[in-house]
Amino acid sequence: MEKRLIKLTVNGRIRELSVKPNDLLLNVLRNDLQLMGAKYGCGIGECGACTVLLDGQTALACLILAVTVEGQEITTIEGMGDHVQLHPLQQAFLDHGAVQCGFCTPGMLLVGEALLKENPCPSEDEIREYLRGNLCRCTGYAAIVKAIKSEAKALEI
Amino acid sequence: MKTDTKILASEFEYLECHTLEEVLDALTRYNGKAKILAGGTDLLTKMKTGALHTEYLIFVKKIESLNYLISDNNTLRIGPMVSLREIEQHEQIKASYSALFEAVRSMAATSVKNMATLGGNLCNGSPAADTAPPLLVYGATLKLTSSRGVRLVPVEEFFLGPSKTVLASDELLTEISIPDLGENVGSSFLKLGRVAADIAKINVAVCIKRTGQAVSYCRIAFGSVAPTPIRVPEAEAMLVGKELSNELITNVAQAAANLIKPITDKRSTSHYRQQVSKVVLEEALRSAWQRTGGEL
Amino acid sequence: MDLQVIGKVLPRKDGIAKVCGKEPFASDIVVPHMLYAVTLRSSHPHAEIIKIDTSEAEKMGAICITPDEVPDFTYNERTVSIPEKTYCDRKVLPRRVRHVGEAITAVAAETEELAFRAMQTIKIEYRILPSVLDPVKAMEPDSAALYEDIFLGKQQLKVKNNIACDRNIVIGDPEAGFAAADYIIERDYNLPRIYHHQMETKTVVCQPEANGGITVWSTTQTIHNVRQLLGQIFELPLSKVNVKKLSIGGSFGSGIQMNSTIPICVALALKARRPVKLMSSREDDMHNHVKFPARIKLKVGVKKNAMIVAADMQVLVDIGAHQINAFPLLGCMSGWYASLYKWQDFRFEGTAVYTNKVPGCAMQGYGNPEVNFAVESHMDVIANECGFDPIEFRLKNYVGIGDEFWGQGPTVKSIIKSCGVEEMLKVGAEKIVWSERRPCQEKTGRYRRGVGIARGFHTSGTGGPKPGEVIDYSSATIKINEDGTVDVLSPVMDLGGGTGEATVKVVAELLKVPYDKVELAIVDTRTTGYDVNTHATRGVYCGCGAALHVARQVRTKLLEFAARILEENFDDLELSYEPEENTTIIHVKGFKQKQITIGEVAKLAQIYSWGTIAATDSYRQKNCPPCFVAHFIEVEVDTWTGVVKVPRAILLADSGTPINPDMLAGQLIGSLSRGLGYVAYEATENDLETGELVCGGFITDNKIPTSCEMPLLENIEVYFAHTYEPTGPFGAKGIGEAALNSVAAAYSNAIFNAIGIRFYQTPITPERILQALEGGISG
Repeated sequence: MEKRLIKLTVNGRIRELSVKPNDLLLNVLRNDLQLMGAKYGCGIGECGACTVLLDGQTALACLILAVTVEGQEITTIEGMGDHVQLHPLQQAFLDHGAVQCGFCTPGMLLVGEALLKENPCPSEDEIREYLRGNLCRCTGYAAIVKAIKSEAKALEI
Repeated sequence: MKTDTKILASEFEYLECHTLEEVLDALTRYNGKAKILAGGTDLLTKMKTGALHTEYLIFVKKIESLNYLISDNNTLRIGPMVSLREIEQHEQIKASYSALFEAVRSMAATSVKNMATLGGNLCNGSPAADTAPPLLVYGATLKLTSSRGVRLVPVEEFFLGPSKTVLASDELLTEISIPDLGENVGSSFLKLGRVAADIAKINVAVCIKRTGQAVSYCRIAFGSVAPTPIRVPEAEAMLVGKELSNELITNVAQAAANLIKPITDKRSTSHYRQQVSKVVLEEALRSAWQRTGGEL
Repeated sequence: MDLQVIGKVLPRKDGIAKVCGKEPFASDIVVPHMLYAVTLRSSHPHAEIIKIDTSEAEKMGAICITPDEVPDFTYNERTVSIPEKTYCDRKVLPRRVRHVGEAITAVAAETEELAFRAMQTIKIEYRILPSVLDPVKAMEPDSAALYEDIFLGKQQLKVKNNIACDRNIVIGDPEAGFAAADYIIERDYNLPRIYHHQMETKTVVCQPEANGGITVWSTTQTIHNVRQLLGQIFELPLSKVNVKKLSIGGSFGSGIQMNSTIPICVALALKARRPVKLMSSREDDMHNHVKFPARIKLKVGVKKNAMIVAADMQVLVDIGAHQINAFPLLGCMSGWYASLYKWQDFRFEGTAVYTNKVPGCAMQGYGNPEVNFAVESHMDVIANECGFDPIEFRLKNYVGIGDEFWGQGPTVKSIIKSCGVEEMLKVGAEKIVWSERRPCQEKTGRYRRGVGIARGFHTSGTGGPKPGEVIDYSSATIKINEDGTVDVLSPVMDLGGGTGEATVKVVAELLKVPYDKVELAIVDTRTTGYDVNTHATRGVYCGCGAALHVARQVRTKLLEFAARILEENFDDLELSYEPEENTTIIHVKGFKQKQITIGEVAKLAQIYSWGTIAATDSYRQKNCPPCFVAHFIEVEVDTWTGVVKVPRAILLADSGTPINPDMLAGQLIGSLSRGLGYVAYEATENDLETGELVCGGFITDNKIPTSCEMPLLENIEVYFAHTYEPTGPFGAKGIGEAALNSVAAAYSNAIFNAIGIRFYQTPITPERILQALEGGISG
């Protein structure tokens, strides 16, 4: 298949990439841009491990053809914060024991951030509803919900 | 295995369209060999799991003229590229089209809803499509456009079977319109799934119009109980002209349950679906009636 | 005891990397010139491979391996048991496939897409064999056979009636016991196959090295067993096989063995002479392992005074196509059963049977959730039928302090020295207000609530006073750096539960070094001593036990060097932490004026050329203390739809000293979610006609519980019993598997209390509930 040149913004940087039409955004991020934060979990949009922000909204990179996001803005977990400057929600995840194996964590954080942007003071039910597409086998979700809730409170003040 | 969901292994020619005309041209040109890619949540899953192959893929999500949600003389006109998330967040839908709102709220993950479109949910042709029962009870019309012209198809006539619709290979769904529902109308949607946001074991939508204390219009539609989403006209007829009572609701729900012929599959059993169809329908009827301003 | 860090909530050592998406998992490993691989898997449940034609694939530039091109070596993926108790029946690639989804060939190419496309061109000629999908029918004499013979250690064994192995144990005289009983209650329980659903699919990267060796990155709970088995299969010296320790995206038992994809990837890499990455797709992964199912027949004899006098348990485990750890499983199941209550005279008969299905393997609890569901449901049945209070009945008969605990079947036993059972049952009953629990007969209306209790335990490790059938010891290397910081080299895998942090805390505590000055080194099999596995809830008890043992040696060296420097007697010196300077000092006991920091000691030891202050050693725990749990769960059943909600759950744990209290709570709450999945939602069953997985390997209709199925935060209560395990590091025991074991029974008992229906089979789905309600019969 013929490759196409696409231009997109990834974590604030403009990237030009040559992709095949059947290349998935997830694999382009991981293999071409070495951004390993978005994970393969199920490949069919059921687990949320591959969550990224596409123009600020959560999206599943395993079900997006890279060619279709030409001109759009993508944020991966690597764009959220780093060890020098953690995003407050990243810190909240650490403070509340929301991380166990850590494989679902990038997706959970991005979904949590999108929720808080949309609804700065979500109720616990709203948090759970918003997270329901992101599966976690380790934590039972409670610590993740608590971490997001703590940030909601922080915004309240 | 025979599949590899880490990648999209199939090869196809990709075409990105920016106008409706381009899409219609391409569909005519490729003569049945093309598929439409919108949100991709159903289509790419089907391609990855080997349920669908295509030589040409036409990407339409970015066609602005197909992305609108307007109320036109009380007719709600929805462009097929409107995302499920936009529908869920639309104030008018939330206020006046409860069944559609509740259906979309019950669906999938937020991320999926950001990506998936209303048009895609319908054209995918799933018997479990959650947006179908609400549109059935609203008497929605689908506008199907091709280079040959435009035809309007009631949503009832749209579905033919699992993954099958009346959409011809050169046609594109270009509008979903919900007619004026008038005053004192209430609608409701209910669903049972395995875990939250799962595909429905069964879903139901109800739309009722109240004139005085009587039902003057009623539609009932189920999903996941037949090869397509279906209405139950016999049960609807039991309500029209009647004053709603708990007894009538129970009778109608029982009648509806007897009319449907669900199957047993990996999601649930025929018996269970039949049994709970009564329960969800009763609840949906009550809640729709309440929304008409009616009392029980 | 002056505890600085044990029991404190401190940040995970890998936390920042994990929240930044920077923590590398096996699936994130990329090495230069790497090829990508896929496996071709059988679409038949049972067939002989007549011919494999890979010519088209090779023309496309792909590297292919077939059964003829891999070592002809019969192995068992799991090498935890001693060799003479290890049943071996599988090959790297088989000439006869025994389940749908068994790998037959593998293909590597420059891209995964090319590899997949090349794989699609491979032609396989099968001779279809009759398949065996029902475990009971499998044992009938005219049933088709999966194997003619297998190996037990090096000894060849004939397989009869598809029976993979069995284990029969009789203690005392059960018949006499039953004869003396006032009540005899017998029931059958049926637990399904479920999928581990660890979030990271099994992955392996293998890099052939210039010295003829290999470096391997894989999703595993045991780097050393992977190394040793690869060495055996490929006849490589162990010094040339290096397996890297790295984070694993959940495991729950799915990585307890050297997964079958690992040697496949190694074979590909050796043939290609290039690094190869083989990452399972979710559908591949689901065809790799499931939790052991179990059919359990349980008979218990009780006296009118609520004392149990006899029991008989018969277990049938449909292990699928290969023995991964069926023999130790049966032993463990006998142990979980034997150690729950004082049965007095009892019998256990366990049979593992081969079928043409995905192989069963350990999954959190290793037979314990299955046994626990049966026994703890049974205790409720007996209490109900005989008019006993369920809690008092348990307290009268439980195995507790001073009793013998079977930590790993009949060969690994130790005496219980710490036990929080009574405390937990008392506290749980108070919290849930057990005294106000009403019988199911009094409940009416559409929504009915019920409260259930179940208790359980798991072993902490597989150690015992004498070595049994299971290998158990761990190792550590600890080094004091020249600035007083500490490096810890541990082979123990942290599956996410916080074993790594516990190790750091134990070392920090003993050496009185602040937590932030102790780091876990990035290690591999070359740089660490042996550790058997992060399994059997042994990470803290055994892994930290070894770290503590080595830390003591390091402390001795530190004090010896300090004594020379300070010109004091070794015995007069002690370690202290100085909070103001955030340093660790060595000083004369009770006389801090004469002191030196440990960093200065290490630096002077270097300057004087005395050497590095470090120690490496191994350590075996000689006990297997049970960590106890209890679950009080409230359910609300919608009797019209069969849908169940969990409004409240109280999770109680006796883990000895809680080293990481936050992560201990995390284990309990995570296990609540997994337990709800097990009891209410999940089943990964096969179509009995085609042998295919009903879900096809996709999670769409086989999803684990989401965030919405859990109780609200304020309705989940966690409680730690106040116990101290004298044999554990700083009094600690394990928790991991225990946390799950009694969730299912507590839930089922709560359903009985709500609607008066007893379920003997899981998952207890709305479909089953509604059907049972209609029929008024048990599910």
